[in-house]
Amino acid sequence: MDNKTAEGQVIVVTSGKGGVGKTTTVANVASALAKLGHKVMVMDLDIGLKKLDLILGLENRVIYDIVQVIEGECTLKQALVKDKRFPELHMLPAAQTRNKDDITPEQVKELCAQLKPEFDYIFIDCPAGIEQGFRNAIAAADRAIVVTNPEVSAVRDADRIIGMLESANFKDIKLVVNRIRNDMVKSGDMLSIEDLMEHLCIDLLGVVPEDKNVVVSTNKGEPIILNDHSQAATAFNNIARRILGEQVDFPTFEEISFWNKVKSLGRNLFPGN
Amino acid sequence: MLDFFKKIFNGEDNSSKGQANNRLRLVLTHDRLGTSTQLMEVIQKEIIEVIARHVEIEGTPDVKIITEGRRAALDISIPLKGR
Ligand SMILES: Nc1ncnc2c1ncn2[C@@H]1O[C@H](COP(=O)(O)OP(=O)(O)OP(=O)(O)O)[C@@H](O)[C@H]1O
Ligand SMILES: [Mg+2]
Repeated sequence: MDNKTAEGQVIVVTSGKGGVGKTTTVANVASALAKLGHKVMVMDLDIGLKKLDLILGLENRVIYDIVQVIEGECTLKQALVKDKRFPELHMLPAAQTRNKDDITPEQVKELCAQLKPEFDYIFIDCPAGIEQGFRNAIAAADRAIVVTNPEVSAVRDADRIIGMLESANFKDIKLVVNRIRNDMVKSGDMLSIEDLMEHLCIDLLGVVPEDKNVVVSTNKGEPIILNDHSQAATAFNNIARRILGEQVDFPTFEEISFWNKVKSLGRNLFPGN
Repeated sequence: MLDFFKKIFNGEDNSSKGQANNRLRLVLTHDRLGTSTQLMEVIQKEIIEVIARHVEIEGTPDVKIITEGRRAALDISIPLKGR
């Protein structure tokens, strides 16, 4: 935005386990914020396995990539891809034929330092895993969003990632639960939001239902937030508004406020937290 | 310790969601501590040995993990014999 004054925030979207919806979350939350007029950058750090360009439908517009920027083959400006649908949305693509350890956390910090004055929000699409790619992705981040699915293996990995983020001194770590199915929660065959909050003990940022429209949008390379009839679209738009600091209710999950109370009670029992 | 496991496995909830919750409670506690359930048994035995060196223990000592949020604590209850 023209009236941009404060430095932008760097937000990493991570999960531990692969395939839980990190890239889908980055693409849609970033598009939603750009649609609201905020200047947004999405940085794909899944080097070697890039998908963000494809999910955003920008794959044919990519010329240079992040490794070429770091190695000085092109300028940062030359590598940025603009999204015609959302004039405020920009992407820095990953390299497909390189590896996670071709860049370092220091280089990511340096890039973000250059981008921060220019953008309101810089989203980092983190690769799965806890190795170099993860370390690169969290290096410059001010806030973290942990994406998980209501399923034991995804929750275990999310818990490990939250522990690692806490060790790295992250103070703002929020949870997005993706692919929840209310019918299965009701019939006792899927972990509920309350269950996930009890296990992971971090604040909830969003709940995205399982929605076949996500697959349809991904096929077309269109952000789902453009689809007015999709529940997932509403969920991603709500996440964007919560990132802006708005109080947005969680429509069908009233019990959540109860768990937040229980949790803060628990924290008070342990001094020094 | 045994109490801890009993509490976890006696879950009133037999749905697959209930089982997932019980399994997660146990696995996350030990993941966070970086311990195996085996190691906890060893810790219990050693704590009791140290105490018994100095004072006489009466009855059955109880050592278990309690969790609050993401934090865990050892809850130790060792009844001592009076003179
Ligand atoms: N809410 C949803 N409903 C239905 N399908 C979804 C939903 N969210 C994600 N998916 C599908 O799940 C798949 C994985 O999503 P995505 O690529 O965003 O995950 P990821 O965490 O970035 O994966 P990776 O670890 O490989 O980078 C995609 O095919 C996507 O279309
Ligand atoms: Mg991804």
